[in-house]
Amino acid sequence: MRSFAYSRPATLAQAFKTLESGGSDCRLLAGGTDLIIRLRDGSLQPTIVVDVKRIPELRPVIREEAGRLTIGATTVMSEIAADERVRRHFVALAEAAAVVGAVQIRNRATLGGNICNASPAADTAPALLVYGAQVVAIGSAGSRRIPIRDFFVRSGETTLRRGELVMAIELPLPTQRTGSVHLRRTRRRGHDLASVTLACLVDAAGVTRLAFGSVGPRPVLAVDSSGVLADDAADDDAKGAVLEELFATASPSAGSMRASPEYRRAMLRVLGRRAVGIALDRLAGGGAPG
Amino acid sequence: MIGRVGASPQRVGGRGRVTGLQHYVADIRLPDILHAKLVTLDCARARIVSIDTSAAERVPGVRLVMTAADLPQPVPRFGPQFQDRPVLAVGETKYHGEPVAAVAADSRDAADEAARLVKVEYEELPAVFTIEGALDPAAPLVQDAALRPGDNLAATNVLREHLVGWGDVEATQADLVIEHTYEFPMVTHFAIEPHAFMAAPDGDGIAVWSSIQHPNWLQKVLADILGLPLAKVRVHAPDPGGAFGGKQHAKYEPLVALMALRADRPVRLVLTLEETFQAARRASAKIRVRTGFHSDGTFAFQDIAADYLIGAYADIADRVVGKGSYPGCGPYRVPAARITARSILSNTTPSTAFRGFGAPQVNWAVESNIDAGALALGIDRLELRLLNLARLGEAFIPFDTPADGHWEQVVRRAAELIGWGTPLPPGRGRGIAVGIKSGPTTGLSYATVRLLADGSVIVFAGTSDMGQGARTILAQIASDELGAPLDWVTVVMGDTAVVPYDQQTSASRSTVLMGNAVLDACRDIQSKVRAMAARLEGIDPSEIAVEHGVVLLPGREVPIVDVLKPGLGPLGGELIGNGEMRKEGDPGHPLGGSVAFFEFNCTAIEAEVDRETGDIVLVRHVTVSDVGKALNPLQVRMQDEGAAVMGLGHTLMEHYIFDGSGRIRNLGAIDYRIPTSMDLPLELLSDMVENEDGPGPYGSKGMSEGALLCVSAAVAGAVHEATGTVIRDLPLTPERVWRSLQEGGNG
Ligand SMILES: Cc1cc2nc3c(=O)[nH]c(=O)nc-3n(C[C@H](O)[C@H](O)[C@H](O)COP(=O)(O)OP(=O)(O)OC[C@H]3O[C@@H](n4cnc5c(N)ncnc54)[C@H](O)[C@@H]3O)c2cc1C
Repeated sequence: MRSFAYSRPATLAQAFKTLESGGSDCRLLAGGTDLIIRLRDGSLQPTIVVDVKRIPELRPVIREEAGRLTIGATTVMSEIAADERVRRHFVALAEAAAVVGAVQIRNRATLGGNICNASPAADTAPALLVYGAQVVAIGSAGSRRIPIRDFFVRSGETTLRRGELVMAIELPLPTQRTGSVHLRRTRRRGHDLASVTLACLVDAAGVTRLAFGSVGPRPVLAVDSSGVLADDAADDDAKGAVLEELFATASPSAGSMRASPEYRRAMLRVLGRRAVGIALDRLAGGGAPG
Repeated sequence: MIGRVGASPQRVGGRGRVTGLQHYVADIRLPDILHAKLVTLDCARARIVSIDTSAAERVPGVRLVMTAADLPQPVPRFGPQFQDRPVLAVGETKYHGEPVAAVAADSRDAADEAARLVKVEYEELPAVFTIEGALDPAAPLVQDAALRPGDNLAATNVLREHLVGWGDVEATQADLVIEHTYEFPMVTHFAIEPHAFMAAPDGDGIAVWSSIQHPNWLQKVLADILGLPLAKVRVHAPDPGGAFGGKQHAKYEPLVALMALRADRPVRLVLTLEETFQAARRASAKIRVRTGFHSDGTFAFQDIAADYLIGAYADIADRVVGKGSYPGCGPYRVPAARITARSILSNTTPSTAFRGFGAPQVNWAVESNIDAGALALGIDRLELRLLNLARLGEAFIPFDTPADGHWEQVVRRAAELIGWGTPLPPGRGRGIAVGIKSGPTTGLSYATVRLLADGSVIVFAGTSDMGQGARTILAQIASDELGAPLDWVTVVMGDTAVVPYDQQTSASRSTVLMGNAVLDACRDIQSKVRAMAARLEGIDPSEIAVEHGVVLLPGREVPIVDVLKPGLGPLGGELIGNGEMRKEGDPGHPLGGSVAFFEFNCTAIEAEVDRETGDIVLVRHVTVSDVGKALNPLQVRMQDEGAAVMGLGHTLMEHYIFDGSGRIRNLGAIDYRIPTSMDLPLELLSDMVENEDGPGPYGSKGMSEGALLCVSAAVAGAVHEATGTVIRDLPLTPERVWRSLQEGGNG
């Protein structure tokens, strides 16, 4: 590994200062489960690594206020998967967090790191998309909220500005009954990166939100407002046609060794159909606003 | 007595192994050590134009940058079968990852940094990395024909052709002939401990540490290269953390030894996981099988053509091809057989020994073809196997050791445990297959056992305990024979300056060969105890027997220690026993020697397949082995389970993936998938058959590879019954199963 300077700011102001002076030679470090791998294989060679875990505003805290659940950027997957409020209102996020890596990884991997790394396969991204999450970004010029659907650009690239960091992720608490689920495809049952990762949310009004990753340069949200997917009476062909349309934007890479584009597309359809079914069951079985 | 053979005491050294107390090579710290890093090129094959080490040498802490030009000339070559592998690439690299230089520095970081700064100017050359590519008459030659003088295949990429057979395949009539071609992937051992090497000048000789299976073999390789007498080459072989065949033969020990001598300081090299992929692997294979059946289900003939893709240097790969394909017809009565096997060189990681030693590849093809025949004949797959299975004493390979077990008991037990013939829920299927592997064909193990004055025991044995539990077995034998509690027995291994010669730790041989040598050494001590007792009692030795830790005197029996103490007298001292076990070769035999024992296994699987995704869930996995006598039933079970799960790796998910120019794309743990605990069968049942009919101590046979041999065919058989789809290409990834189902799935 190339040697680098390590900085662990205790305040946002210190962090901004380091980021400003270091510029593009800086890299932020949270759990390090993405970053360390890149440092070791030499594909990233920053001269300064800035550890964000001591910045109070990014603390691993999950709090409920003003109609939303706010998750501090450095909250790790195992905390998210275990949190009662996340499990009650945002079960797809809890399910996604619970399948990231293995236990050791989940004890390190942060939600902020998962989205800022911006892998198309990031497992929490589809859930955040169907729940309409907002990313709270902060820079020396102040903070702003970025809707998650405007956050991802392509692998490794987000709409964060230089010098900005993610402080928290906000999830609006549901105002009506919903059912949701996260599903994914991997090459084995043990920990693996997803070849399709997908979340689905159906609400009592019949709107179905499907978000999917690992089938294109960035995770995508697609919404069915026609009510067909959520309609128990609609036949398989009709639902299939709607799914086909929602998935039309999927563009899996032909160069991947994890799965062929045909297989990813086919699995997107299978997972999509299964996810809608599970989300509908969950909607029917509870999921009252609370 | 807790050490008794047949009991399952706590593993000797087991606690240290799982708590981190055990010292692997990489844990050993020597003062003043230099850290080495290999310099490799990012391509399969290249002509080296020039190497500029100046920038690397300027990195602070760098002490040595070694290239082929710094080595003795001509650059020494080594290899267990052919001396073809240079210490560093000479003029040309022949596979992705072959080192062209190596750096040694005060710190690992400095070595890494300097390795990146070694500037190699090179010209990428056309390479071959598939069987078809290597056999193409226009293909570039992997090995310089000059390395193979007098070899009429030297102008091809075929290293050797092996032919075994009996009867007349061409003249044999069959009612049904089934012919298919099967493929087996390129996989790697993935031992948890990476290969690690260390060397230090040692007076007028050298000391080398390596996580190696065959320390004595390595000692000879180093002595030859360095021009030293054996006595001046001391090989320390700390217990490896898994090896599976991948650590049998020298890899980078010669390089590290030459670096240490040149730097006049200790040098260590610990490979990364990625580098281990480029250091050792199993041969991939393509196998055409033509099976002739009579309508009653008996075999008429087997005609097998197996092409194994080996790497750029032979290592032990050609022996793997010859020996692995040899029992290719399986444990059956086959009136006429023809087995041709070719080892084909390619510009890939040198393939080497790997649990099963070339047998799983052919087994996959032949057992699957037998299923196809059973289906076509309308005969139950289990019944067809039982019908043809060789019975005890039958010379099923006419010129070799006859069937050495009640194999039908093994098959019946597996069938019973899987519930063969009972109704299946929808979407499920079962498969069953049998596997056989030839045990060692030659062997030589020496052991020294010291019975100390208080009755405790030290066993000196050159076996490597790489996790298979050899320490425990050898301690149990000594404990049992000499009457010492197991925790009063110390087993010393892994130091060629201390322990007597052992040929090798491979082919599941150590319980049989080293076990017999230890037993022999214990018997040597027992005869001394007997003489002692005769002297003390003033009677003739013929009136005394010594066995299982006790001295049988006329009318009474006493523990050995009660004779030992008075027998040694006031000066104390000890009794030293020496033991030896030889298995001589036979130059006229196709393998150079008859088989000491066969490993026999039957595996049965119940699987459920998700037709939409191609996922296979193994509902139940049954493995039953013929072990003769389980000296330690728990260890037998652990070996069987480990082998079974390892077999699931190449069956379901493992394979090297190459890019279009022969670079390995999935180096490392992210895109090379091995089974995790979550991928295990929902139920894994292992059982054993014991008839005390083996050549090892107390009737034991070697075991530890058997449960891997026939996993693939059993799984594929279950998938076929569950879905109707036939797949002849491993691994059975979800995508491959899905694709086969999409395509109608009858292969
Ligand atoms: C073995 C293994 C298995 C894995 N399995 C999965 C899986 O199943 N699913 C999955 O989605 N991922 C998986 N990952 C990837 C990784 O664990 C996750 O993406 C994780 O959430 C990253 O979080 P981190 O805190 O470790 O990020 P880091 O590695 O610390 O950072 C990742 C990136 O985000 C940036 N960053 C971090 N925090 C901030 C912040 N607050 N503001 C701005 N930028 C920031 C960093 O600069 C860096 O570029 C796996 C990784 C490993 C090693």
